[in-house]
Amino acid sequence: MVTKVRVDQDKCIGAGHCVRAAMEVFDQREEDGIVVLLMDEVPPDLVAKVRKAEALCPAQAIRIEVTD
Amino acid sequence: MPDASPPRAPAAPLFPFQRTSPFDPPPQYAAARAAGAVCAVTLWNGKRAWLVTRHEDIRRVLSDDVRFTSRMADPDFPAITPARVSVDRNERAFVGMDNPAHDAYRRMFTREFSYKRLQALTPQIRAIVDRLLDDIEAKGPPADFIPEFAIKFPSLVMSALFGSPYEDHEFIIRCAAARHGLTQSVEDAEAKGRELAAYVRRLIDAKEAVPGDDMVSRIIEEHVKPGRLSRDDFAEIGAMILRAGHDTTANMIGMGVLLQMQNPPLRDELRANPALIESFVEELLRYVSPVQFSPRRVAREDVEIGGVTIPKGEGLFMLLASANRDEARFAKPDELDPHRDASHHLAFGYGIHQCLGQMLARFELAIAFERILERLPALRLAVPLEQIRFKHDMQIYGLHNLPVTW
Repeated sequence: MVTKVRVDQDKCIGAGHCVRAAMEVFDQREEDGIVVLLMDEVPPDLVAKVRKAEALCPAQAIRIEVTD
Repeated sequence: MPDASPPRAPAAPLFPFQRTSPFDPPPQYAAARAAGAVCAVTLWNGKRAWLVTRHEDIRRVLSDDVRFTSRMADPDFPAITPARVSVDRNERAFVGMDNPAHDAYRRMFTREFSYKRLQALTPQIRAIVDRLLDDIEAKGPPADFIPEFAIKFPSLVMSALFGSPYEDHEFIIRCAAARHGLTQSVEDAEAKGRELAAYVRRLIDAKEAVPGDDMVSRIIEEHVKPGRLSRDDFAEIGAMILRAGHDTTANMIGMGVLLQMQNPPLRDELRANPALIESFVEELLRYVSPVQFSPRRVAREDVEIGGVTIPKGEGLFMLLASANRDEARFAKPDELDPHRDASHHLAFGYGIHQCLGQMLARFELAIAFERILERLPALRLAVPLEQIRFKHDMQIYGLHNLPVTW
């Protein structure tokens, strides 16, 4: 099972919840605070943190996809 | 023809309601959550507005920029006082805009509030807290913790971050109070709004002449000089940032310190286990929810919420304090419990307008509580609770005074 995370930079408002929840996976662009992904495949030990980031994102800019 | 008119709905109650306990929202909120998805109320001007009271419904409305507008200049925008009508009509910052304009402006400022940037400021924030606690200890008990700490602390942080001289903080707080009150005159609210924007406009000129290591200087360099942001627009946005940065954090610190003093087992636990402070801050934000009558929206079309149709052009209040006490989302919602995961609270709002300064507020609150717990372990009220003046007269809830001893 592979967990992939996607972000929508057009929706992002730079609130920073994702970085706070999962600093290993998300960062904010230096120039405008918009989300960038540090990885797109999430290792199992980070899945819970990434799910929290997805749940807290106020702009609903984070999507998680689980494939077999 | 009276016979042909539809059955008349019971008169919508006058809003806002009164609190019956200083630590809980008005009891009508829980009743409204139980009764239905939305609740019609009458405002001071006789206009009807709708209260959205449930966590899920508020999240849905605040995520829906298609059917609801945030444009404060909209003539139908619901206002809690006559002064607020004028404040709303004069709002030029992105808090009162829809997309795409909102995001275009907000993105010029988001890097200033990015998580890692604020995290890097924590030693500076801690040093400010310790300096203020040094002063309080040197003067000796008793002290009024609101003017001596709760107001000075975020003012000093904003001064360092934004670049506004610290000696101006009392002026900035007076301007914020003129906007956030429930009883001020239209003239006072308008005048203080203009004065604060003019103050930031002068600050922009001063920083343009002599730049510093601060937000105003950086925004001038990155956005004003290349022509993306006018000096007047920057002044309005800067006024919004100053008001929010000075007023809301001060209120949360006052309420947080009072609640800890009222609850010795909680205070002892936080002191023994500082790792719990981060989740305590989330829980405190949930429990206090200081922003009482925002966010607001106007329906752009007829919208159904939970079986009730909100007609096009009518206003809605998102009652964040109600969402944060919603039994459907938080077990035992009226208990202050630092062990719960309260991170999905809506104290900062939700959607594209969620608070720009929220991460700064989180760092400020956590650092302040951690240092106060360590340095003033015997802190207690110097007067009976009845002598604490709660901000029943303000749109942002908190304390006017907090006499303490140790």
